[in-house]
Amino acid sequence: MIVLGLFAALFTIFVTGLGVTMSIFARTGRFNLIESVCLGWLLGVGIVSLLLWVGGMFCSGFVLQAIVTVAGLALGILGWRAKQKADAQFHFPRPTNVTEWTLASIVLIEIAVLFFVSFKHTLGWDGLLNWELKARYAFLNGGAIPAVYYSSAGRAFSHPEYPLGIPFTELWLYLWMGEPHQFWVKIIFPLFYAACAPLLALLVSRLSGKRWVGLLTAALLPFVPSISASPGGIVVGYVDVPLSVFYLAALGYLLLWFKTNNAHFIIVFAACSALLPWIKSEGIILWAVLVLLGLGLSFSKRRVAQFLISIGPGLLVILGWRIYLKLVHLWPHSDFARPSFSLLRENAGRIHDIIGILFAELSETVHWSIFWLLAAVAVVYLIGSRKLEKLVLAAAVVLPVILYALIYLCSTWPSYSAHMTSSVPRLLLHVMPAGWLAIGLALTQPKDQNRHL
Amino acid sequence: MRIRSYFHVGLWCALFAVFLVKSIPIVGPALMENRIGPVEANRSIDAYLRALTGIDRGSEKLPDTFQRLSKEGPLVIFVQDENAQSEFLGMMIGYVSWPREVRMIKVAGPTVEKELAEIKPDSVAGLVFCSVNPPEWLGKRVRLGSSIILVPVTEASP
Repeated sequence: MIVLGLFAALFTIFVTGLGVTMSIFARTGRFNLIESVCLGWLLGVGIVSLLLWVGGMFCSGFVLQAIVTVAGLALGILGWRAKQKADAQFHFPRPTNVTEWTLASIVLIEIAVLFFVSFKHTLGWDGLLNWELKARYAFLNGGAIPAVYYSSAGRAFSHPEYPLGIPFTELWLYLWMGEPHQFWVKIIFPLFYAACAPLLALLVSRLSGKRWVGLLTAALLPFVPSISASPGGIVVGYVDVPLSVFYLAALGYLLLWFKTNNAHFIIVFAACSALLPWIKSEGIILWAVLVLLGLGLSFSKRRVAQFLISIGPGLLVILGWRIYLKLVHLWPHSDFARPSFSLLRENAGRIHDIIGILFAELSETVHWSIFWLLAAVAVVYLIGSRKLEKLVLAAAVVLPVILYALIYLCSTWPSYSAHMTSSVPRLLLHVMPAGWLAIGLALTQPKDQNRHL
Repeated sequence: MRIRSYFHVGLWCALFAVFLVKSIPIVGPALMENRIGPVEANRSIDAYLRALTGIDRGSEKLPDTFQRLSKEGPLVIFVQDENAQSEFLGMMIGYVSWPREVRMIKVAGPTVEKELAEIKPDSVAGLVFCSVNPPEWLGKRVRLGSSIILVPVTEASP
């Protein structure tokens, strides 16, 4: 029964997300099956968790579960009808030569291995106490986290201020399984990886025009030790890999929108970027970076209005969550002080240490191998191309890293260096798939340079 | 242009080779660690509590014990400051004792006398010491595994 419930929960998430994806792409006439399934998972997770959060304010228990299920299925049916109406067809992008077949097979095997490995580990510290805890408390309360949890000083350790994207996805599985099950709930994390690798391959292929390069970057992705072998990876149930997948998707579709003028891509950007602050608080920084870069692209394209509309959903999520935290009287606990000029001036002396710790982490081969060296070379290539979308991609890799380092100027820990050392590896993980996107485009650079320089 | 192209291919081949040579010895063993299962609902909580305190099925036993305390009043959890294991254990107690209110007190010094003096006995249900030694004069102690000591302040009436 538990496994049946698990499949029902995953099915409803996929149907919800796939419905929205089909609605977005219906008019294009063709759906890439792999793209639709990947986006189906990402958007499904976002929509189901948001529906649970909003619905949980008004109802609970079976009624809440039924309402979210009906809403999800309705979105699925609407998407299917839009597809039928537009006479759109699914197509499966089959590899066309031995290289592509080999690389695609490697990617598939890696996904299967990471599914297997995920079930071998327990949830990590944050995975258990910051994320799963919320899902369990909500489950025990019929599907909504009790307001008393947010104002409890004793449970401030579990960061009540963190958003509910992943905990409520876990909750959705619990509601369907009928109990909080810490073994089966881990399935959602390799599913994020399973969405990330093909999406990376697809985005690199589309932006570079070479499918084998996309498949190569996807095949190399799990060799970054942080994915599977370090704290924060998918095997321990942290939200950093899921956040990185949303960032990759939002960035990739923003670049595709710039490249193709296709309005469908900006809708996907709007959806994926809106979910960044819903997955983790640091998602606001990533969202802000994308808004800044997107504004640059939209000015150059003279499509500022279209872009400004696309950031609406993200603003709504950010404001909605802030207002909610005010209403539930969140216990004032934070690892960071509110930034101000006086604080920055006071803590400016930290800069030297912060840069030192950042570079020590970037060169930590146990966490990253030489991934950041590859990313740095790719950034140099992209800057050398002098093409706006490639400069934007380089900035999308570099800016979050700089901003993530600078936030420790506002750290309230007695030892900001201990704070940074313990958390910065996970923050860097958010940018890692975007770094592979940069590497993929750098790999196909010279021809383009010949053409444009 | 051809030289440039060779340089490009050579550079990336070398970088990817070094990347894989550095990664595989780290990723490979990590993938081989542990075994699947057990397929249990409280797998993670139980595994941590077993490793830190030796308690089997701690996710069931600890809440059962805490339920025997008075329904009113929070559980006060003492943890050692700057001791990750003690703090983690305190958080685990906070996790499994839901929905009871908890108060976490980080003890910086060698004793908890000062912190205890600030607690009104009739306002709390129990005191939990995580890798912290309670003072000798403190009454009835219940040892919960190797690192947790519970001192019930008020017990539920039968």
